[in-house]
Formats: sequence, structure tokens, C-alpha cells
Amino acid sequence: MFRKKKIVYLLLLPGLTGLALFYIGPFIGGIWVSLTDGTLQNGFVGFDNYKRVLSNEMFRLGLKNTLELSVICAPLIWLTSFLIASMLSSIQKYAAGFRNILLVPYLMPTSAMLIIWTLLFDYGGCINRALVFFGFDRVLWLSESALRVPIVVMYIWKNMGFSVVLFLSALSQIHPSLYEYASIEGASWWEQAFKITMPQILPTAFLVFVLAWVNAFKIFKEAYFIGGDYPSPEIYTLQHYMNNKFSSLEYQDVTTAAYLFAVIVLVLFALMYLSKSVRAPEE
Amino acid sequence: MKKHFKRKLKSLSPGGWVMICVMSLLCALILIPMALTFLYSFFSRGEISAFLSERGNYDESVFLTFPLSPAPASIGQYYEIFIEDSSYLKFFLNSVFYTGMILLGQALIVPLTAYALSRFSFRGRDLIFFIILILMILPFQVTMAPSVMMLRKMNLMDTVWAVILPMCFSPLYIFLIRQFMVGIPNELLEAGMVDGVGPVRGFIHVILPVCKPVIGAACALSFADSWNLVEQPLLYLANREDLRPLSVMFNRISTDGADIAFAGATLYILPTLFVYLFFQENIVSGIQLTELK
Repeated sequence: MFRKKKIVYLLLLPGLTGLALFYIGPFIGGIWVSLTDGTLQNGFVGFDNYKRVLSNEMFRLGLKNTLELSVICAPLIWLTSFLIASMLSSIQKYAAGFRNILLVPYLMPTSAMLIIWTLLFDYGGCINRALVFFGFDRVLWLSESALRVPIVVMYIWKNMGFSVVLFLSALSQIHPSLYEYASIEGASWWEQAFKITMPQILPTAFLVFVLAWVNAFKIFKEAYFIGGDYPSPEIYTLQHYMNNKFSSLEYQDVTTAAYLFAVIVLVLFALMYLSKSVRAPEE
Repeated sequence: MKKHFKRKLKSLSPGGWVMICVMSLLCALILIPMALTFLYSFFSRGEISAFLSERGNYDESVFLTFPLSPAPASIGQYYEIFIEDSSYLKFFLNSVFYTGMILLGQALIVPLTAYALSRFSFRGRDLIFFIILILMILPFQVTMAPSVMMLRKMNLMDTVWAVILPMCFSPLYIFLIRQFMVGIPNELLEAGMVDGVGPVRGFIHVILPVCKPVIGAACALSFADSWNLVEQPLLYLANREDLRPLSVMFNRISTDGADIAFAGATLYILPTLFVYLFFQENIVSGIQLTELK
């Protein structure tokens, strides 16, 4: 650790300039923008922009969908990746290979994979064929009401590997004698998973959930490639709203929507953080 | 010997074999979309357009027949992309340009910033780190609006710099590399300090070589990000479609000229696959670093 070295300011200069220019500075300056009317006089209008955006139907729809999609995806990713990781950790030396395969989709560009997904989800596609084989009815996946399913599936397919890696590394640090003792006592695999594993890796489990949720707010690419700028109302996300306001040059609305969303996200994280420190004060 | 045998027996318990089968099945399922894309890239253009035109048939009795071998194997799709129509390649090169520039910018800025934040103590360090954490947590929808205002003021909208510059200061990678640098034992640097090595030479000769794995991970993850840019080009290059990368334009190309879609997708995937094969262990350890320490 270097102390009282003036050179640190020189080292910081490029990074900090960029962060200040593109993130921090405009973020603070933008608060003023969201309180003015954006005309030439640029008059102060108080919270009018916030009232207008909040009462805008499309903003509400986008916000609702973004929150709903993230609330669907984050727990799904969290649970499946926990189950997969605990299965993987029971086959130790073979686990790394499987884990690395599960991570491949994470690097795949969304648009390149879209065409094959639309084929799989087609009315006559593989997924419907499997449904019929198991005695269910076909579903119109690519039309309005079911559209969320392909989007959630594509999203989970792409992002699950990341969480599996985190869970697996936490699992490998649990002492194996705990499981040996549990199996002597006759605990089933499920009991071991949720009564030994879960409490042991609680900090990681919390982190994975937070990361999965943060990332799930970004769900847009899949919806954009399937539905374009104005997709059906089931998959109209906040990003769609902002893109459309942006292309109609209504910057006030874009900025205001951004701050509203920032407040929501930060409140959610504050709540999660508090709930964590209440439940596990020693962490 | 007996002990070894016993341990081996235990690791191959029947339950373990079941797990291996389940996992193999799951991995096969996960790889299907990519495998089919590769396979269909070697179908002739006529066969692919015939196949794709069967989509969207809502007759209850009709299923798509997914062909598993091409009638004649063909490189027609690749021929179209490379020789006959340059529009795909143009956007592909745009993607290469953006990815290259973003990685270069990050290489110049991110390790330096991470170094300053991890190996020095100075006033305001914790505040800066806290701000970086917050920026990392905020979704793109939130950080985008301020960036846009600054880019407009700087007259950078509809230029390549609007996409490149904000990405160069990505808080996520500063955080990632800082996490690794914090863990480097002090003795390494102190040994150098005795020999009169200052902070700059210490950075170049001690810190950077030790950080190779995490820098590899950051590069690979950032590559995946930059190769898949969608939101930024849509917003920042709203009026300059010719400057957009393949990540945004591929969808258009593959609907206009659907018969080359699979070769296009394959070419688009290949670089990420190479990066992945080369860096997979780094990526895994890099992801593990996102755990707060």
C-alpha cells in the first residue's frame, strides 16, 4: 500500500475524468434537466415532468413489464442455477467441464441466436412438437399473450451459466464432512441441499440473487429483436419507452424516467441490503 | 491402493452417474441452438429459404420438419456473404472496430484506475469506490440518459465515439480488476520498494504480470459485451445506420436475406467461441471475483 504518493492523482486522472464526464457529472446535472421544461427559456417547472411521466401510460406499462420480467427471471435463474450447481458439486471432478459448457451461451450475441429460437418456438416447431408428444396442446408462442415465455427462456438460457459459476465456487468451499454426517443420519438429497448447503452459502446466494436481478432489469435485446420498437404490450419494456421518447427528442421525459427508475432500483437494493443484515447480522 | 480404490468407488456412486447423465442431457439441450445454427449454415440457400418459408403455418396437422442433413452440403451461404454481397461484411467489420476500440480504451484506463483504487490510500478513495459500486448496480436505462446529455453537448451523437467513449470507463471492469488487485499480497510490492521501485514501475513490472488472469477475464467478458451491443448503437447512432455494428443490424440482414441467415449467425458466433475457448478458465475465475470481499 502506497501512502502520500502524489502520483496516485495522475494515475486516477484518466479514469476519473471519464467517469465524471460520462456518468457522475451528467447524472447530477441531469437532476436540473428533469426539473425544467426544456424550451429555449428553460423554465423551472418543479415536479411537473415527474407528474407527466408517472401518469404516462406507456411509461407505466414499460416500468411494469420491466419489473415483472425481472421478478420472473431473477428467481428462476437463482433457483435453477442453485440446483444445477449443487448437482454439479456432487460429481466433483467432472463438474468443471459441464460448468464451462453451461457458460457458453453467456457469450453468444443475442441477434445471432434469434433466428434459431424463432424456429424452435414456431407453431410447428420443436417445442410444440414436444408438448404434443407429452399430451399437451400447442401454444402460439410468438404471439401476444405467450410472448413472454420465449423471452424468459432465451434470457435464462443466456445468463444462467454466470450464476452457476458463482454458486459452484461457493459450494466447493463447504466442508464435505457435513454431507457425510448428513447421509449417515439419512438426510435426503433435497434435505441436504436446503438444510446444509443453502445456509452455508447464504452470502453467495444473496449476491447471486442481487446480480441476477440487476441484470434482469436490462431485459430488452430479446424483446427488441422479436418485436421491434413497438412490440406487443406484454413485452414493452422501460428501455422501449426510453428509446421511443429519445427518438422523438423528448429528452426531459427520458431523463425524468431515468431518475424515477434509479430511485426505484436504489430503494429495492436498500431494502434487500437491510433485510440481509437483519437476517444475518454476522456477515 | 485399497484406499484409493475405495475413494474412486465413492466418487462414481450410482447417484453420481445419474447426475452425469442429467447434466449431459442438459448441456446437450443448451448447445442445440448453436449446433443447429452451424448445421444449417451448410445448407444451400434454396433449401434454407424453403425451410424458413414453412414457418408461421398455423395448421394443427403440420409440424416443421427440422432437416438434419443438407440435400447437398453447400457453402453457398458463405459464398454470398464473402463474395457476392458485402453488406454483411461491412457491419461485421463495424463490430470488429467497436470491439477493438472499446477493448483498447479499457486496457488504457481500467487497470490504472483499479491500481490507484486498490494499492494507494488517499482521501476520497472509499467515496470513489462507493460511487463506482452504485454505477455498477444502476441499470443501463438509468446511466444512459446522463451520458446522452453529455454526448450531445460534446457533439458526439451519431459518431462512433458516442458508442466507444462511455464504454471505455465501464465501472464493472474497474470493480472486477480492483477486487483482484486488493488481494495481491503486500510483500510482492514491498520487495520491489526496497530495491527502489516506485509506484509506476511497480505497476508495470509487478502488478500487471500478476493480474494477467483477471485482465484476461475482463477482456473476454468485455468482448462479449461489446460484440453484443444493442442499446447504445440504437440510441447513439439513431441517424447513422451505416455506422451501426452487426449486433443491431444482423436482425435486419437476416430478415431481408433470410437464406444467408445461418452462415451469417455462424460467422458472428465464431469469434466469441474462439475467445471463450481461449479464456474459459480466466472467465470462470473472473466471475468468481464479482463476490464482494
